[in-house]
Amino acid sequence: MDSITPTELAEQLTIKPKRQKMSRIKREQLKWGLIFLSPWIIGFILFYVIPFFASFGFSLYDFNLAVPDEAKFVGANNWTRALSNDPQVVGSFKATFIFALISLPMSMGFALFLAVIMNSKYLMGKSLFRTLFYMPTMVPLVAAVIIWAGVLNPQQGWFNLLLENVLGIDAIGSDGILWLADPQLIYFTLSFIGLWGVGNTMLITLAGLQNVPTELYEAAQIDGASWFRQLISITVPMISPVIFYNLVLGAINLMQYFLVPYVLNGGTGFPDGTTNFIGIYFFNQSFSFFNMGYGATLAWLIFGVSLLLTLILFGSSRYWVYYAGE
Amino acid sequence: MRNSKIFKLLCLLVLSTFLLVACGGGDTTEPTTDDTSTSSDTTTDTSTGDTATDDTAMDDKDSGERVQIRWFVGLGAGSDEPMFAPQEQIVADFNASQDDIELVLEIVDADQAAGTLATQIAGGNAPDIVGPVGIKGRDSFRGAWLDLSELIEKNNVDLSDFDPGMVQFYVDRNDQQLGLPFAIFPSYISYNADLFDEAKLPYPPHEYGQPYIDADGNEHEWNMDTLRDLALQLTVDENGNDATSPDFDPDKIVQFGYSEVWTDFRGHATSFGAGSLVDADGNAVMPDHWREAAKWFYDGMWGENTFTPNAIYGSSEVLANGNPFDSGNLAMGHTHLWYAGCCMGNLKANWNMAAMPSYNGVTTAKMHADTFAIMRGTEHPEEAFEVLMYFIDERAADMTEMYGGMPARLSLQGDYFETFGENTFPDQENLNWDVVTASMAYADNPNHESYLPSVLEATDAYNKFWTLLTNEPGLDVDAEIEKLLVDLQAIYDASNE
Amino acid sequence: MNNQSNTPWHPLSKNSRDWINTLLLTSFMLFVLFLFLLPFSYGIVTSLKTDQQMTTVGAPWWPASAYTYEYEGEEYDVFTVPVDGTEYEWALVERGREESSFIDPNDPERGLIVWEGRWRTLEQAWTLDLHWENYIEGWDAIKFPRLLRNTVMYSVLSTIGAVSSAALVAYGFARYDFPRRDILFGLVLATIILPPMVTMIPMYAFFNRIGWVGTWLPLIVPAFFANGYNVFLLRQFFMGIPRALDEAAMIDGAGHWRIFFSIILPQSIPALVAVTLFHFFFAWNDFLGPLIYLAGKPELHPITVGLTGFNGLYQQQENLIQAVSLISAMIPLVVFFFAQRFFMQGVVMTGVDK
Repeated sequence: MDSITPTELAEQLTIKPKRQKMSRIKREQLKWGLIFLSPWIIGFILFYVIPFFASFGFSLYDFNLAVPDEAKFVGANNWTRALSNDPQVVGSFKATFIFALISLPMSMGFALFLAVIMNSKYLMGKSLFRTLFYMPTMVPLVAAVIIWAGVLNPQQGWFNLLLENVLGIDAIGSDGILWLADPQLIYFTLSFIGLWGVGNTMLITLAGLQNVPTELYEAAQIDGASWFRQLISITVPMISPVIFYNLVLGAINLMQYFLVPYVLNGGTGFPDGTTNFIGIYFFNQSFSFFNMGYGATLAWLIFGVSLLLTLILFGSSRYWVYYAGE
Repeated sequence: MRNSKIFKLLCLLVLSTFLLVACGGGDTTEPTTDDTSTSSDTTTDTSTGDTATDDTAMDDKDSGERVQIRWFVGLGAGSDEPMFAPQEQIVADFNASQDDIELVLEIVDADQAAGTLATQIAGGNAPDIVGPVGIKGRDSFRGAWLDLSELIEKNNVDLSDFDPGMVQFYVDRNDQQLGLPFAIFPSYISYNADLFDEAKLPYPPHEYGQPYIDADGNEHEWNMDTLRDLALQLTVDENGNDATSPDFDPDKIVQFGYSEVWTDFRGHATSFGAGSLVDADGNAVMPDHWREAAKWFYDGMWGENTFTPNAIYGSSEVLANGNPFDSGNLAMGHTHLWYAGCCMGNLKANWNMAAMPSYNGVTTAKMHADTFAIMRGTEHPEEAFEVLMYFIDERAADMTEMYGGMPARLSLQGDYFETFGENTFPDQENLNWDVVTASMAYADNPNHESYLPSVLEATDAYNKFWTLLTNEPGLDVDAEIEKLLVDLQAIYDASNE
Repeated sequence: MNNQSNTPWHPLSKNSRDWINTLLLTSFMLFVLFLFLLPFSYGIVTSLKTDQQMTTVGAPWWPASAYTYEYEGEEYDVFTVPVDGTEYEWALVERGREESSFIDPNDPERGLIVWEGRWRTLEQAWTLDLHWENYIEGWDAIKFPRLLRNTVMYSVLSTIGAVSSAALVAYGFARYDFPRRDILFGLVLATIILPPMVTMIPMYAFFNRIGWVGTWLPLIVPAFFANGYNVFLLRQFFMGIPRALDEAAMIDGAGHWRIFFSIILPQSIPALVAVTLFHFFFAWNDFLGPLIYLAGKPELHPITVGLTGFNGLYQQQENLIQAVSLISAMIPLVVFFFAQRFFMQGVVMTGVDK
């Protein structure tokens, strides 16, 4: 806690003629606010603002990473290509959204389900359950994907082994259930793999649940509200900030979804282009084809769409998110 | 309350961000772009040069008076763990042999090597010498390599110890000599003799020009049709039926007759003859014999008579999760010489090498050749060339053996295979190394890795085409080829070359 | 209705009902957990198999090795061979499509027995065989101690930076009112959704210019400048703390730092621990950053990058890959076991759970 930024700097940053007649309280607030904010402000300028605009500069160049000294200014060419001439841009955004519509409800629903059960007085060995459900989150993602690719293997994988030997479905073999190769299944498969990262969402939701004052439940019980009614009328609204947080982060992470399909199939979009998500397409253009100029354009598009998504979510939040502090 | 405020402010933020970009964009971006050494032609030389000089100046201080030369490994052979120590030894030997240059080794995993190298180049942090690198690696960084012609002349390098054809192999489309021959990897048919014995079938011919003599003593021209017939008899399901039997179950195959080993669509198609996906005028084309090849393989994967693995079998335990010939369940595989060096450690069976079959009377055995190349951006071309000559001249014998390639120097080829065979396959007798040397005469020209406009994007397009074919039954191959040609044409058209 | 449910009548006492509910819920969750961790069990079982079993068609799902019999200096697989209704365990010496030769391990003197039939239809005899040495082999091959040391160093340092800086900044946002504060907070959110790809290349060039490429600095130093995620999460929690508490402290004469340290931080321990855990494991799993900045420096690589390389190198030895994956998963698991105690304590200490 050594970041004592000179007050002068704080004042320099904000002094405007109009503000000179600020009350002393306001000035105190400004000074201390900026002192606490200073680590972020410095980092923001160094690691975000400058590279951000430099990267926009890249998007105006035909800049091949392999031969950077042959870069040439091409104006809006990259932008025209991305916005009107490249079907892969639309296709990859579409793939990303469809996947998000399947994956987000699955992961958030599962996290809420787990958190509610972990919070139930009827569960024995809570901390063990919590540890075990959290455990896969700590498996390095690369390892997790490798393990999943094995267990979903059509021949030796245990999912097909169970399906065939316990449920009697013809799942094994090249004519069986191809979890990783069937375009109809791949989004569900990826969502399943994503469930292994449910730990963080589960913990945040659980922390939220534990913050709900027990008086509310006691009152509801006196009123005779059912368990489900309590869930809908007390639990969900009380933890709505947490759900909101998870939703925003989940949506944004999906816009950058990259590592799982990359480890599974090397970013080839397999099967049949279904996993050519925008994050993958960006990576391919920038780091596989080395078209950094075009890659920067795509990165800016991803940024724009993410921003739009966040705005929509924030816009909707005032209708359903409840803050105790206000 | 607070949220609606944030919402409005966010809207403002978005608008102002874009406004800022639109109005102030010119001012803000130009200098930053220059800083990162990505600007237009006039400023480039100085800015990249500055970065490089700064680096070397610092490095020089660290290592006394020696010039630092960075050797990047990963685009070809060399990034496998067993190769680390021998390469480090080479570096130590070189550094001990003289006082002017400090050679520094950087090994990057093959999957990440291209991206890493690109990032280093873009960051003005490029290495000096790169290799071993094949055609594909060099083509991925086209324009990034130094033309060696001047240095060869200046240093009076004697090229007479190389096959002139092999020297020409490293001349690019702009007549630049980007490398000198180092290690060559011809291809041939590897066959599992035990599986032939089990089926009581005679082995494929060991010499080019010889026919295949079947179990009844009948002669067949050694061509793709004969190969297919043979492969069908060597493809077996779990009940012991081969692919010619009416009871054969293509969903329960436990042994395959034939497979191309670790190559892409161009590699597959080249077994039917050399060709290219681009013509002299820059149009996307599919040679007729490649069209035939695509159908031949597709039919072999999905047709009534299966003899070659589709992608699902290819990555299954039947074929050792992706190492088909090593699994012992593949009767014949088309492999390059490097495969024998790197990847047959688990094969317990007796195996040997045979000639490539012909197609329409023409025999083609695709060729790989690796070398070392110097990056154009190097600050020390003379020193880098000294290292290069150390690799391909002084240490060529140990280094080619280390990478499992056949030496390109004629003087070193003599007893190469004797040593290599004894060291790598001590238990095998009568390995037919002669066919490897003989395959050189049937090298593919144009090479299956040769030039395509926007090679990486084009490769991605034909890889997607081939992935689809190897994964999905019931496709119309001609229609898929037409789609591929449309995609390729779009990529070629967008290319600025 | 309400009155009725207040005084319900049930055939079972409340204790028995609780007990049945507990039993049902717990067994249901055990089943869910079984499915959830199935891939993990697969990894463990696979990691104990031999290379040979991995590539043998028809091998059992559990780690096993085929019975073999040594005959004249060669090892041969043992199969169960039915002859006239009796099953014999014979070693297959010479394979043929329609007839094969076997040797009887109990009576090798008898010589080769020719059996008419297809050997592929025979059941191979397997015996349980756990290859724990795969773990040792994997541990050595991937140079695990080095990877671990790097990963721990990176995770610990960057977590210290991330949590301390984020708490300060979140406090500034949650409790101080000054012009343009909400614009700045909007910018914090913007950095969360700003795809890291946008800044990747310019940042690399910048760090390269100041000579930091090839060191841990580009990965650790930025963590000390408050990451948007952490600020966002902590601010959400800080805002949930009633302002009445700080106002009371302020009346008692507490300064800004004292309010931060003695009111806000203690109230937020669950959130702080959560952020610590999240950032720690974010750093633990970070891949792209170390990959770019530490390229060509295997001595600095963390586990993730090392594992990816290992996966590429040993692609055909899934047993080793699974063993190494599990080794790298074990340490975070142990860390979590301990960190979880703190997490629970934190929850109890701040009285959230009262």
